[in-house]
Amino acid sequence: MIRYTLTRLALLLLGLFVASVLIFLTLRVLPGDVAQLIAGTSSTPEQVASIREQLGLDEPLVAQYADWIGGVLRGDLGTSLLTGTSVTEELAEKAQVTIPLGVFALSIALVFSLPLGVISAMRRGRAAGTALSVGSQALAAVPVVWAGMMLVVVFAVWLGWLPAQGFPRAGWSDPSAAVRALILPALTIGIVEGAMLLRFVRSATLQAVGQDYVRTAAAKGLTRDAALIRHGLPNVGLSVVTVLGLQVAGIIVGAVVIEQLFSLPGIGRMLVADVSARDLPKVQGELLALTGFVLIVGFVVDLVHRGLDPRQRETS
Amino acid sequence: MLRRTALAASALLVSAALLLSACAGGTTDAPTPTGEPDPDASAVIRLVLEPSNLDIRQTAGAALDQILVDNIYEGLIRRTPEQEIEPALASDWTVSEDGLTYTFDLREGITFHDGQALTPQDVVWSLTTRRDTPAFSDSQRLANVTTITAEGQTITLTLAAPDSTLLWNLTGRAGLIFKEGDTVDYKTAENGTGPFVLDDWRQGDSITFARNDQYWGDTAKVGEVVFAYIPDNQAALNAALAGEVDVVTGFDANLEEQIEADGAYELVLGASTDKGTLAFNQTSGPLADKRVRQAIRQAIDHEGFIEAAASGQTLYGPIPELDPGYEDLSEVAPYDPEAARALLEEAGVEDLTLTLTIPNFYSTTIPQILVSDLNEVGVTLEVDSVDFPTWLTDVYTNHDFDLSYVLHTEARDFENWADPTYYFTYDNAEVQALYKESVAATDPDEAAELLAQAARIVSEDAAADWLFNAASVVAVGTNITGMPSINVNARIDLADLAKSDG
Repeated sequence: MIRYTLTRLALLLLGLFVASVLIFLTLRVLPGDVAQLIAGTSSTPEQVASIREQLGLDEPLVAQYADWIGGVLRGDLGTSLLTGTSVTEELAEKAQVTIPLGVFALSIALVFSLPLGVISAMRRGRAAGTALSVGSQALAAVPVVWAGMMLVVVFAVWLGWLPAQGFPRAGWSDPSAAVRALILPALTIGIVEGAMLLRFVRSATLQAVGQDYVRTAAAKGLTRDAALIRHGLPNVGLSVVTVLGLQVAGIIVGAVVIEQLFSLPGIGRMLVADVSARDLPKVQGELLALTGFVLIVGFVVDLVHRGLDPRQRETS
Repeated sequence: MLRRTALAASALLVSAALLLSACAGGTTDAPTPTGEPDPDASAVIRLVLEPSNLDIRQTAGAALDQILVDNIYEGLIRRTPEQEIEPALASDWTVSEDGLTYTFDLREGITFHDGQALTPQDVVWSLTTRRDTPAFSDSQRLANVTTITAEGQTITLTLAAPDSTLLWNLTGRAGLIFKEGDTVDYKTAENGTGPFVLDDWRQGDSITFARNDQYWGDTAKVGEVVFAYIPDNQAALNAALAGEVDVVTGFDANLEEQIEADGAYELVLGASTDKGTLAFNQTSGPLADKRVRQAIRQAIDHEGFIEAAASGQTLYGPIPELDPGYEDLSEVAPYDPEAARALLEEAGVEDLTLTLTIPNFYSTTIPQILVSDLNEVGVTLEVDSVDFPTWLTDVYTNHDFDLSYVLHTEARDFENWADPTYYFTYDNAEVQALYKESVAATDPDEAAELLAQAARIVSEDAAADWLFNAASVVAVGTNITGMPSINVNARIDLADLAKSDG
């Protein structure tokens, strides 16, 4: 297990390094730069050049990369060219919206997809199972934006229960307002992600139903449902842990869209704004943090998976 | 069959959604317009575009001028929404007969937001620094000023040559007054003299101004103003219907019925200097031929844009009605597809394919109308939707485009037609001479007359097409008074804004 962990850790670090190079280079391919944006549409080439120099954009790429990575290794993700604020600070501030949003969304997705997925598999061929299956299929195909709009129309505009957009200016010092602001966005992501997860849980359960150990347990006198619950579900759980890593990435992408729709000051909305402002040091810091987060979740999921599955422990 | 069912189902869902939003009216409490203004009210104004930083000395973009000028920073003089010039930090000013000497009487007892006094030397320093720092925006607008001096409270500007645009320029960024040697970080903080102070900037969300109780003039009528940045119009409508904003700027006039449904808002249309500009790259190729450019202009049904936006007016030349030098030039390029086809034939152009480069934040209705109108006369238009930085590089800097669309919001920006290096690629010596003459004119009426002459030539040369002159579309809560409606993309003066608590 220790050897496995070390190998996996080495792979994680390698992944982070490759990601940093890719992020840095892809951003440099984007046309346009921040100096031009600062100067605007009534500027002269001299004005742009002078701003470019002032911001250090005229330095060679290798020097810029080394500068950035050197900072990252010291725990400094960089500084915004536009506002001079530290990327780490900005991320920490915006994470107060995005992390709770992601956690809410994931919880919602799990809470309704796990039981319903299992039920839909166990009741396969019967009315409830078919309804769940068709319903989840339809929900998974719904664009996140549309789902969000519908929820806003019903719960914010029509019923007036929840805010239509925005996050309280007082932030988490007004916890009830903050939670209320996140319910609709989290529901939107949670329902769509959950519908996908439901279908996954359903097929993993169906697979378990057909396994020899479930049939054996049933043959020894357990009912089919009891056999499935006692012997099948731990295996379903394992498969779910594996896709959770992917779900986290899905939720981050969902957050980028949903934060626009609900005007939430989170990491997703900041990222979109920074890309269109070509604030590259900020964008690359944000992307590296997000990539690092997804890679680390994947790393943890792998370790947990291995810890949970006795078969994998034995073979290592 | 399946497809038809799906269509029917989505139609049902859409109508359900419409029904739901229509029902919304009944549930929200309509404010009583009879309520007394609340001096400590917090007014929330929806804006579209958030500034990337707050450094108005250097960072371009109407998003900064819109909120910072007049409210946070002030100049010696200012412009009213009706584009008149009036006193601000200076109580009065005079211009000498020969147009070479401008004197301003600086008011006494004015303090900056940090408590420091405004001195005549601050004025001299601000204007001089602006003029001499090329990286600052609009620094070239003070290029004609040779000396800036102070004697007592009198500030004197002397010029090398008369400049009919100087007073106007002083009401803009070029004229803003800062504290000499200030150490404030202008990117995220401020130290101005205006009726509001910056209270909070939550990036990606909102900017809050609080009333400056030490203001030298009449203090503001609200306790604070929150600018909520909500890019999407539908989201802004939802926020309005849920009672989360008091004013919605940059709105879509097509949504008038929805937002007025419960009587809590009224849609107001104001004039603006926003010009939907279709630029032609006329340096080479078919667009170098004036007949081809004129054909494109006459192929476009300009009323179509007004109908699609349910607001605005047509514009057939480079100067909008709010600016000096405007005249109705509709006879220069009337909608006439027949004439357009004839012009193309005369120019010997067949199967013409052109590319339109357009920043992706504009409504897709614009390219749709253009594609269909040009298709009518046999011109194929390909649309290249790009993000704004890409547009700046390809079109603005490298002039690598056929057609380009951008909404030019700046007031009095005719100078670009007299600058052959600008991305309009328009080079006409006569226009350049007329513009120069207009700048040098000492009589405003004469200056305007010369601009009008130049503008007519620009339009007759089909140097570009002006798709429309947009309106400022603002939905104002019925408990709000004093919200400006003219040119709000450029300037929102909050001095008279009041909110009753009804």
